[in-house]
Amino acid sequence: MNIHFRIVLLVMAAILAVGMLPALAQEPVQITLWHMEQPPHRVERIQLLIDEFNAANPDVVVRQEPQNWGEIYTKAPAAVAAGNAPELLFAIPDFTPILKDLGQLQDVTDFVAALDAKHDFVDTAVEPYAYDNGTWAVPLYNMAHSIWYRPSVFAAAGIEPPTTWDELLAAAEALTTDTQYGIGLPANRQLYTDQVVYDFMVNAGAEEIYNPDGTLRFDNEATVKAYEFYSQLFRFSPPDSTNWTWGEAEACFASRACAMIPQFTVITTYDTQAEGDPNDLGVIAIPRSAEVEESGTIAYSNGVMLLTSDPAKIEAAQRFISFILEPENYGRFLNMEPGLFLPVTDTGSQADSFWQDPMVVKYRAQVETMIENSKNGRLFGFTNGNTFPSIASISAQNILAQVLQMIVVEGMSAEDAVKAGQAAMEAAIE
Amino acid sequence: MKRSRRASFVLIVGLAALLFVVLVPFYWIFTSSIKIPQEIIARTPTLIPQSFSLQHYDKLMNSSQFPVYLRNSTMVALATMGVTLLLCTPAAYALYRMRLPGRRTLFRIILITYAFPGILLLIPLYSMMSSLRLIDTLYALVIVNVTFAAPFAVWLLQAFFQTIPPEIEESAALDGANRLQILLHIIIPLTAPGLASVAIFAFITSWTEYMFSSVLIISEQYRTVPVGLAGIVGQYQVDWGLLLAGASVTTLPVLVLFALVGRYFISGLTAGAVKS
Amino acid sequence: MFGLSRRTLVGYLYVAPLLVWLALTIAYPLLSTVILSLQDIRIIGTEGSFVGVDQYRTILTSDAFWSSTGRSVIWVLGNGLAQTLAAFIAALLLREAFPGVRIARVWIILSWIVPTVVVVIIWRWMLSASGGIVNYALVSFGVVERPIGFFSTGTSAFASVILINAWRMFPFMTVIMLAGLMRIPEELYESAAVDGANAWQKFRHITLPGLQPVLFVIGLLGTLMSFNTFDVIWLLTGGGPAGSTTTLPVLIYDTAFKQYRLSRAAAMSVVTGILLLVFALTFIRLMSPRTEEQESAL
Repeated sequence: MNIHFRIVLLVMAAILAVGMLPALAQEPVQITLWHMEQPPHRVERIQLLIDEFNAANPDVVVRQEPQNWGEIYTKAPAAVAAGNAPELLFAIPDFTPILKDLGQLQDVTDFVAALDAKHDFVDTAVEPYAYDNGTWAVPLYNMAHSIWYRPSVFAAAGIEPPTTWDELLAAAEALTTDTQYGIGLPANRQLYTDQVVYDFMVNAGAEEIYNPDGTLRFDNEATVKAYEFYSQLFRFSPPDSTNWTWGEAEACFASRACAMIPQFTVITTYDTQAEGDPNDLGVIAIPRSAEVEESGTIAYSNGVMLLTSDPAKIEAAQRFISFILEPENYGRFLNMEPGLFLPVTDTGSQADSFWQDPMVVKYRAQVETMIENSKNGRLFGFTNGNTFPSIASISAQNILAQVLQMIVVEGMSAEDAVKAGQAAMEAAIE
Repeated sequence: MKRSRRASFVLIVGLAALLFVVLVPFYWIFTSSIKIPQEIIARTPTLIPQSFSLQHYDKLMNSSQFPVYLRNSTMVALATMGVTLLLCTPAAYALYRMRLPGRRTLFRIILITYAFPGILLLIPLYSMMSSLRLIDTLYALVIVNVTFAAPFAVWLLQAFFQTIPPEIEESAALDGANRLQILLHIIIPLTAPGLASVAIFAFITSWTEYMFSSVLIISEQYRTVPVGLAGIVGQYQVDWGLLLAGASVTTLPVLVLFALVGRYFISGLTAGAVKS
Repeated sequence: MFGLSRRTLVGYLYVAPLLVWLALTIAYPLLSTVILSLQDIRIIGTEGSFVGVDQYRTILTSDAFWSSTGRSVIWVLGNGLAQTLAAFIAALLLREAFPGVRIARVWIILSWIVPTVVVVIIWRWMLSASGGIVNYALVSFGVVERPIGFFSTGTSAFASVILINAWRMFPFMTVIMLAGLMRIPEELYESAAVDGANAWQKFRHITLPGLQPVLFVIGLLGTLMSFNTFDVIWLLTGGGPAGSTTTLPVLIYDTAFKQYRLSRAAAMSVVTGILLLVFALTFIRLMSPRTEEQESAL
């Protein structure tokens, strides 16, 4: 028995040792990139660019690890704590502060300035990442919501594309028939719902949820109006949209069950799972309420964060980021999902590699409109030149969505729900 | 005892309902997985597929990392099976054949571990794996899966051990065999079905585990099927075809395993239930 | 040595690897959870200070904790009812002799052996309000006018998740129940029939007592497994809508990983563990079957 035991221990130790060998060998600089673009075709496109970079830079090896938005808020801090953090991590502005609190985030002010001189960043893309005397991510791509519809469906119902809230409500009602829902709106406790709620808040004049001094002003009349309108519009949405993420909304539009949906893009789904006719795909800005003068929307400047302090790795990572932003590569990068990712640099917005992608060519009119709409984009917690990193705790819990659920699921009044939302936000950032 | 007509009727209706409830969902996802996308999301569902396409399986196996996930899940499940058997067989034998003092307490302690929510263990186990540099390795998953399978495995085994009459062991001992030899050459062959049922239980526990796998594994190359499937689907577009193909392929290995040795698991479960 | 026979020592040696394993992978983490619960750590890996029983005080006075506990109780009862009923009926059916019964007795367990992710995919697909087959059937047969959003109100979401979980788990219970039913000797029923007993009397005086050992197992294991179910609920509803399916495990996960309050979640885990422990011990003491043979196992 004794000897058997020892043998087993020995074997296990050997296995562990062999498993650890790779970590000890000498290798080119390893850069691991985490991103949340998991659909296989996006992963393929990124791999293409990575392979080109690796071939041109033999002293660096870049690897990608696609992650899941549902898990990343947990995994990233845990990985940093365990010493397993990637060197590069894609980010949205309200995710960055969480990482910054853990002390691993690198200040990339100089690097961004250098890239700016070369490619001319859209200013609103850099702003959400610049606070506390530093810049904490390099902007990579922009995304903004629009309303998607089919002109043929509108024509059959005899309505014009809406530009105001009254028109939107009327349109949704007119379009709701036995086989069709006028508009698909989510009410899940999830990021997509936060985004759509904010679309309406922006258009009600409630895009600021913070006071300049950092206290919360979520509870105000404009916010209440936004939620009230949402709940009225929600009557024309499919009953299971309480469980929706982006995917279900697109499926609803593709199958014609929904006449309109607010969404970053439906182009790929429309092309592969629906009829794919560029002449029957309409896109307009989110309609505005009477309180604001022009339509706005939610816009995310997506960036990449640098999480290593090793000088060799920093240099290699910067080389890779610069490679991505070069016009001949940048377009191909953005078009991993044609029509979803919009350029954040001037050179990028004119790049052939962007405009010559077959899908972009096919849906050129729609992409141009999307870029137009994105110029009026805002992001909660990062508006009008102010940045409030504490927003991270609020979006991690999807409080905007929770407030909506209080109204449409629990039947609370908009005032009470918004009040409760303010209290929840205060508890989250305390 | 002959059944009355009425009883036969009730039986047939009951069985049909049972069959329907258990099998129809699987029929539905499998047949949908071979339809073209437009037919899958069509508002009027078609019970018999009108189209036939293997594009989803093609995309699944060739354009995604699903084969890698399958490989990882299989390795982890097999290792879990092995380690669970190694740990639990001697333990159950000692507890039930050798009538160790304190076995009742020991047994209760082992069973009580099921009282604790898995989630309770998530954080400390993560930290532990982290300090042992086992994050993002398949070893970590094996360790966790064995931990969750072991208590129930011991319980399953004790029932089988109790079916062996002590006389067999006594006569072997008289012939000069020691404990280990008795265990290896007599008990184990006689309780093969029990061992098989433990093996299957461990395999399935491992194959279906999601929570720990999603946190402990970071790289694509070590991901397991449940987590990988949830990820492939992506939250941005619901590619139902891909999803349904993935679900079908995930079900397949356990179906095959069960077709081969499923009856041992059932008889194991049956014996365990009866003996306690 | 130690006054124990060599035989006993060898016996303990056989049990030792398992015990060491469980000590390392369960006992040690449990201990560190308790320590964690006495601190104020938020994000994993950050520093925290000892705050004694503050976390416990917070959660024991919080509405969220107690409503989740309540939901967990309803969850367990709902599942227990649905599963036991379904298992009993299925076991009765499978006890009969008919062509193919042996295959049926093995494959009944199909829905239990597939990963939860697959179960979730299947049911979300089938229950969808736009293109799901269940709604299609309901509308076609005129049962409802418009498709139902199964996950859009609190009550229907809770009921749906319970039924889906029951669908997944009842076959497991069926096998155990069937084992118990088949142990009851046929002669008992025959002599009762001779004495003029009707179906209900047979059930109450033969079947139920005969099933007691099995019901004990199902009750104990079933309750524990049910209470701790996490991934089915999380993947189906994420605890929503509006928190209506947030049972204790879901609340713990949410507190730890979405609200970033690790220590608080640890405290919740400890309280949950204690509650379940008390339940398990009480259950064993009160409901343990009394026969000689079963005593030897427990």
